[in-house]
Amino acid sequence: MAASKKIMLAALVALVLGAGGFFLYINAAFPQDRCEGAKHLDRPEEFADCVTCHTKASPKVTQDWQESKHGVMLVKCVVCHGEPDGKGSVPFERAPDPIRICAQCHDPAIKRMVAKYGSNLDCNSCHPNHQNPMHGDAYENKIPTTKISLPE
Amino acid sequence: MTLSRRDFIKGSAAALALSAIGGPCFAAAKEEADKWVKGVCRYCGTGCGVLVGVNKDGRAVSIKGDPNNHNQGLLCLKGAMLIPVIYSTDRITEPMIRKDGKKSELTKVSWDVALDFAAKRFKDAVAEYGPDSIAYYGSGQALTEESYLANKIWKAGFRTNNVDGNPRLCMASAVGGYMTTFGKDEPMGTYNDIDNATCFFIIGSNTSEAHPVLFRRIARRKQSSPDVKIIVVDPRRTNTSRIADLHVFFKPGTDLALLNGMAHIIFKEELDDDRFIKRYLQFQDNEGNARSLEEYKEFVAQYTPEKVHEITGIDPDMVVKVARMFAESPATLSLWCMGINQRSRGVWANNLIHNLHLITGQIGRPGASPLSLTGQPNACGGVRDTGSLAHLLPAGRVVANEKHRNEIEDYWGVPRGTIQPKMGHHTVALFENMASGNVKAVFIHCTNPAHTLPHLNKYTKGLETAFVAQTECFHDAETLKYADVVFPAAFWCETEGVYGCTERRYSLIEQAVAPAGQSRPAVEILMEFAKRAGVDPKLMPYKNSADIWEEWRKLSQGTPYNFYGMTRERLKKESGIKWPCPSEDHPGTDLRYVRGEDPLVPVNHETKMFFYGRPDGKPIVYLRPYQPPFEPADDEYPFVLTTGRVIDHWHTATMTGQVPELRKAYPSAFVEINPDDAKKLNINNGDPVVLETRRDKMTFPARVTATCMPGLVFCPFFDKKLLVNRLFHDAVDAASKEPEYKICATKVYKQG
Repeated sequence: MAASKKIMLAALVALVLGAGGFFLYINAAFPQDRCEGAKHLDRPEEFADCVTCHTKASPKVTQDWQESKHGVMLVKCVVCHGEPDGKGSVPFERAPDPIRICAQCHDPAIKRMVAKYGSNLDCNSCHPNHQNPMHGDAYENKIPTTKISLPE
Repeated sequence: MTLSRRDFIKGSAAALALSAIGGPCFAAAKEEADKWVKGVCRYCGTGCGVLVGVNKDGRAVSIKGDPNNHNQGLLCLKGAMLIPVIYSTDRITEPMIRKDGKKSELTKVSWDVALDFAAKRFKDAVAEYGPDSIAYYGSGQALTEESYLANKIWKAGFRTNNVDGNPRLCMASAVGGYMTTFGKDEPMGTYNDIDNATCFFIIGSNTSEAHPVLFRRIARRKQSSPDVKIIVVDPRRTNTSRIADLHVFFKPGTDLALLNGMAHIIFKEELDDDRFIKRYLQFQDNEGNARSLEEYKEFVAQYTPEKVHEITGIDPDMVVKVARMFAESPATLSLWCMGINQRSRGVWANNLIHNLHLITGQIGRPGASPLSLTGQPNACGGVRDTGSLAHLLPAGRVVANEKHRNEIEDYWGVPRGTIQPKMGHHTVALFENMASGNVKAVFIHCTNPAHTLPHLNKYTKGLETAFVAQTECFHDAETLKYADVVFPAAFWCETEGVYGCTERRYSLIEQAVAPAGQSRPAVEILMEFAKRAGVDPKLMPYKNSADIWEEWRKLSQGTPYNFYGMTRERLKKESGIKWPCPSEDHPGTDLRYVRGEDPLVPVNHETKMFFYGRPDGKPIVYLRPYQPPFEPADDEYPFVLTTGRVIDHWHTATMTGQVPELRKAYPSAFVEINPDDAKKLNINNGDPVVLETRRDKMTFPARVTATCMPGLVFCPFFDKKLLVNRLFHDAVDAASKEPEYKICATKVYKQG
């Protein structure tokens, strides 16, 4: 009895350590899910200028944002994700907490959705923040191309 | 949305690990709001309603948009990051004085010492040099109660009309425009017009960065009805133009010619509203002589598309196109801001926009209105309406009018003749008089003139010379360098008061948290200071700001600014009400001057519209000729320099600079330059570029982008390390006395 209890305990500890180690390993091994800017940028005073790096580091996400409502309205990366060193006023998070972040602007909508579908607060799964959730083409390719030549 | 394999593995691993170890180190303590306190955003003139989340310990922990205010729950990035500003380590929490003149250090003292120190200097100045040797310099960010109180203390208590404020630098030309054309200040439309307009004429406004939540509403309108047309007229192609159908570049400062040219096309192509013109309008030239419609038509006929092209550089076909879009749309809404107001002909430019709306009858219908956007959260409600400027008295009265003075004297319970008939110094003249020693002491409230005045090198001399008492919340403010006394004021939701935004909407900011350190509400500071400086305490029989509101509310009764129905209790319950609102059961007014909408128009009035602001009920269409800016580009100084905002910072960044995310989005000012110009001058992104004007020269990092048209460079003005206002001249509008911050001539070259 005692032996099997010991084995059980050892198995549990092993499981905990194994799982913990695996978790830490995964986090360290896939850095593209985090912003490495905090480690690499030599100008921390520009940490909130995410787009400059991310146009190269994650072009799809950047372009999706740029063309989305949030991009047109200049709701910038740091508003929801915080800055890469995690020392700003917004916590650095890959997937921001809907209650704390999304509700700042979308509380009425969240309340409507909860009333309709229950409290599954995963806004992003139906309304992908970075993809163009706009219906119609009001926001697409609307940078005017009219140019004039001025008299000398 | 599907999970990627990596997400799945990572998620499973994390879940497993967390379930195993209980996750104490990952579940960061989240501070939950215990109650939500209603207020208004501290920043721009949009005036978005906010709810401040306060936890059990009385600390503000979160913020969200007020769903019942006009912003419908939305905030921009600055508003969403407002909470950290309250708890910034940069807050001034104790009174400070400079004991031994400007060169000594600011030292912390008690309230009594600071108040007595300031009061004595003001009292001495009045005794020795008369009341006009002191002044109040206020702000469009001060609460309505604060501005009303200061106006009363200075004009009736100290008996000087030297009461002015930063709205002079921002809204004075819009006031001048509404006053001259319609007889009374403040727009006739509201933000609701955005939802009904079919054409937007946005001129001299970067709405997207200066009023983001309004921009979102315009974009939503465009999205729901793609036929809606948006015209942006601006020498910079800003983010606002992303949703525009037409972007019109023009040579900076030449828009008066475009506006007259549009009027010409409107008549030539019979797009005018003849019925409206004949029934309602009158015409006048610059000298105030009455003119006829025919004379007006002849006047604008000079501005043919070719002539407009010659002056502005706009393609003649484009002039016709814009005029047609404006006039043919069922409902056109004009929006403008500092690009029109901060000009040496700002009032004229305002008049010309009103002209277009009047001759086409694009007014008084949902969506058809000339709507001037305000820069500050309480310039309209707090300063324009309470008359806290050198030439005004509360509710549209002027100091030059004896009847107006007597009305106010009677209401305030002071003998007739107390209020001086002579106008006080407007802002630029005030700082000039401080430098020359005519004004000995100034009380600066809630603003940062050492950063925002034009031609700074000249006007900071005034601050160096005069005794400066200042209320301020942040050490970061440039003006602190010149302050002799600093009173720590309660910030934003640390006190209670009313803000009135662009659309005549008054909303109450309720107190959510206790003031930081020893700071006190500004109404207390003003009253304590005034009592010690010898002002009769009977003038200030108030326990708190609610009492001041009661007095001001009752004073508005019977005036065109009537908001008698907005009791404090009602403002606590509702998220903002638009005046006119004459009784407690009145819902507020959307369409001013319209029968059946505006309670001040009699229900049985003979015509649908009644412009009661003017004695004859007829707005004036002005014959305003084109005039070039004060300092256009020339051979010696070939570029035009303009200033403005970036979305991340507000005004002098004393507040936004406290938020790490906002500070790091734009750590310093820069100069925006067109790629064609940059190529000619061999300038690359990030190069140090010298801007040299007739006043000063400064070096900025270059930002090469197509935003500015060729020949134009832009610098934001938020950075106190690079005070771009040092480069600007101090020419002011002849009527409104508002300086021309938008245009000056400069040399541009690479440093080295």
